[in-house]
Amino acid sequence: MSVIAEHGGIAEHIHPEPQGFVRKYVFSLDHKIIGIQYIITAFVFFVLAGCLAEIIRIQLMHANGGFVTANTYDEVYSIHGSAMVWLVIIPMLTGGFGNFVMPVQLGARDVAFPWLNMISFWLFPVAGLMLFSSFLMGAPVAGWTEYPPMSLQGGAGTSMWCAAIFLVGVSSTLTGINFLVTILKMRAPGMTFTRMPLFCWGQLATAPLLMIATTALAAALAALFMERQFGVPFYDPTKGGSPVLWQHMFWFYSHPAVYIMILPAFGIMSEVISVFSRKPVFGYRMIAFSSAAIALAGFMVWAHHMFTSGIAPYMQLPFMVLTFAIAVPTGIKIFSWLATMWGGKIHLTTSMLFALGFLVLFTFGGISGVFLAAIPFDLHVHGTYFIPAHLHFVLVGGSLMGIFSGMYYWFPKMTGRYLSEFWGRVHFALFVIGFLGTFLPMHWLGAEGMPRRVASYDPQFQWVNQLESIFSFIMTAAILIFFVNMLYCIRNGKKAGHNPWGARTLEWQIPSPPPYYNFKHIPSVFGLPYDFTEPLPYTHLEDELTDAPVTVGAQ
Amino acid sequence: MAVVSIPGGGEVDQLYADTRELRLQGFLLFLVSDVVLFSSFIFAYLYLRNSGQGWPPPGIARPPISLAALNSAILFGSGATMHYALENFKRGNFLRYSSLMLWTILLGILFLCGQGIEYTTLYFQDHVSWAGSGIFGASFFTLTGMHGFHVFCGICYLVVLLLQSVHGVYDKNKYFGLTAGTLYWHFVDVIWVVLFSIFYLI
Ligand code: HEM
Ligand SMILES: [Cu+2]
Repeated sequence: MSVIAEHGGIAEHIHPEPQGFVRKYVFSLDHKIIGIQYIITAFVFFVLAGCLAEIIRIQLMHANGGFVTANTYDEVYSIHGSAMVWLVIIPMLTGGFGNFVMPVQLGARDVAFPWLNMISFWLFPVAGLMLFSSFLMGAPVAGWTEYPPMSLQGGAGTSMWCAAIFLVGVSSTLTGINFLVTILKMRAPGMTFTRMPLFCWGQLATAPLLMIATTALAAALAALFMERQFGVPFYDPTKGGSPVLWQHMFWFYSHPAVYIMILPAFGIMSEVISVFSRKPVFGYRMIAFSSAAIALAGFMVWAHHMFTSGIAPYMQLPFMVLTFAIAVPTGIKIFSWLATMWGGKIHLTTSMLFALGFLVLFTFGGISGVFLAAIPFDLHVHGTYFIPAHLHFVLVGGSLMGIFSGMYYWFPKMTGRYLSEFWGRVHFALFVIGFLGTFLPMHWLGAEGMPRRVASYDPQFQWVNQLESIFSFIMTAAILIFFVNMLYCIRNGKKAGHNPWGARTLEWQIPSPPPYYNFKHIPSVFGLPYDFTEPLPYTHLEDELTDAPVTVGAQ
Repeated sequence: MAVVSIPGGGEVDQLYADTRELRLQGFLLFLVSDVVLFSSFIFAYLYLRNSGQGWPPPGIARPPISLAALNSAILFGSGATMHYALENFKRGNFLRYSSLMLWTILLGILFLCGQGIEYTTLYFQDHVSWAGSGIFGASFFTLTGMHGFHVFCGICYLVVLLLQSVHGVYDKNKYFGLTAGTLYWHFVDVIWVVLFSIFYLI
């Protein structure tokens, strides 16, 4: 195939087809390969962090612990949380699905800065290894939030933790810049913002958060690192510093970060639900703009994590009200998805099952969030198991279910083959059962006052914890099935063709897996991708599935 | 920019933005995140400063404003020379451009020397240090040091740009690197205005 660059400006975006294994699969510039690299790396870290989770559950089988020492237990849950947030959910949803899907959905041939993209990716496994290596030198013990003064006293690995999280932060920031420019500047002709697929809207709302919030975290981490290594006082109250300062800076990042972890998953939901209901998304604009609203408002609610930290009472009320308010755009989305399904012709594929599971479990977690936003309630349950209950409902029942749904949906695009639907259903059923059994009782434990992050606890809670641990094994089994399914189907899955779901966004109009240049001709777009009764709203796509020669350049 | 008409959808401009536009936007976004980095530390400083110990904390003297003011003048001067350097380049006045660039670099180095003098006086005369003087030392040296590091990087970047332009990398129609360098240099100036105000004026 010959590649002819016809257009001066465009040529730099098209790297010639790479030759050789290293250029093709290791230091690749192709957004699709980079996306898959992210997904694989994140799954590897997912397995490691999952092992840590099982250590936690085994420890809690007995009221006085005993499986590992209390200090090791602290290290284990700290790294478990950090790894799941920074090495699994965020890279998977932004670097992974964002890279693989978004440029194609926009009708572009790559992201704006392919080199930067490659650098972002390679920072990520390095940071991950650094994070796990902190076990060798005394891992952090203050949880994924690493509040001082405890984080100032933690083992030497705490500094390693700072450096590792700083590095994934740099990776996120670069990805945010890259994606933002890509979405703003590289959409195919005719793809106005109000014709953009909702997954891209999710990424558009996420990118500024990645860029801005992550940088604030970088400052907080740098200060913690300097204080630990050089004794520069920022947080140590005995030297005039303030531990609450860390909390402000950390949550100024980490509240937006919870939206980094959910907005792309919202985007996946919109695609999956509309495709498998065979109906236009209900309230396209509301879904799109509520993402933007959530992203903006996400910067104004961070202190709801600090109601018990002694912040001034006049500050508490506005934060409570704003947190209530932010649930409104989230609710709008839920209702839009329900209305999309209403009267639709629902296809219960595995991907759709996970989307339905998302709707139920995420909504539940959102509601417990609204409970937490109410100061009188929060004062009662802050620091108890109610918080892990809430955060696992939104992060596992939300973000992770979104990732599973997206995997079953886009796997055929990545590999050209289906994942097994039968084992997919087994995965779904076991996962939901295990999930509910593990995390639902935590609400009750929290309301009863069992503190989080403890290696031993009041024996009256032992039977509940044992129950949770048993269910967590079921969840682990479900995830193992998922991995075997993926490994098996990469080579042996049923062939899927280019558009197995009858979807209408651009990535499904080209072969699976897509060729490195994505489109022979950049398409023009004249409508939304969700009108299932109309002809496709694209032109110039006639040659994509034929043997026509590739003419890379403007049409 | 080509205008493409879309069946049923009016006209939109452009197939692909040209890469210069992409790079400019990417660079601006990078500056935005750099602003956030400084803002976070500035927030930390103001937060600590208002945590009730009085400012400057007992036993610590404010660094003298005179040297800092002189230094600011030097930096703002370099902002002006940078501005005119780019203007001259655009007009094809290469010699003036080069000498103005050299002036900018020189003034930048002078600024760093001024900061060096300030640091050494603080350290040897007033015994104020980064780690040993409480939150004053921490915030003052971290923020001004970060800014100084940005100036240093800027100087290196300007040197590279100057060498590149001597080798004819840029011409009158294609000078993205110089635009970026100018933007960066002005950015460093603006940050200094803020730092100067919060450390020496208020
Ligand atoms: C409906 C919207 C939501 C509301 C009103 C809400 C509210 C809250 C509140 C008030 C807390 C603090 C509880 C405390 O520490 O005392 C909290 C904690 C948390 N939330 Fe949410 N939340 C919402 C959605 C989400 C989403 C979508 C995510 C992530 C995808 C999330 C992740 C978390 C996490 C990780 C924590 C725990 C932080 C820790 O370890 O202390 N929340 N939430
Ligand atoms: Cu929050």
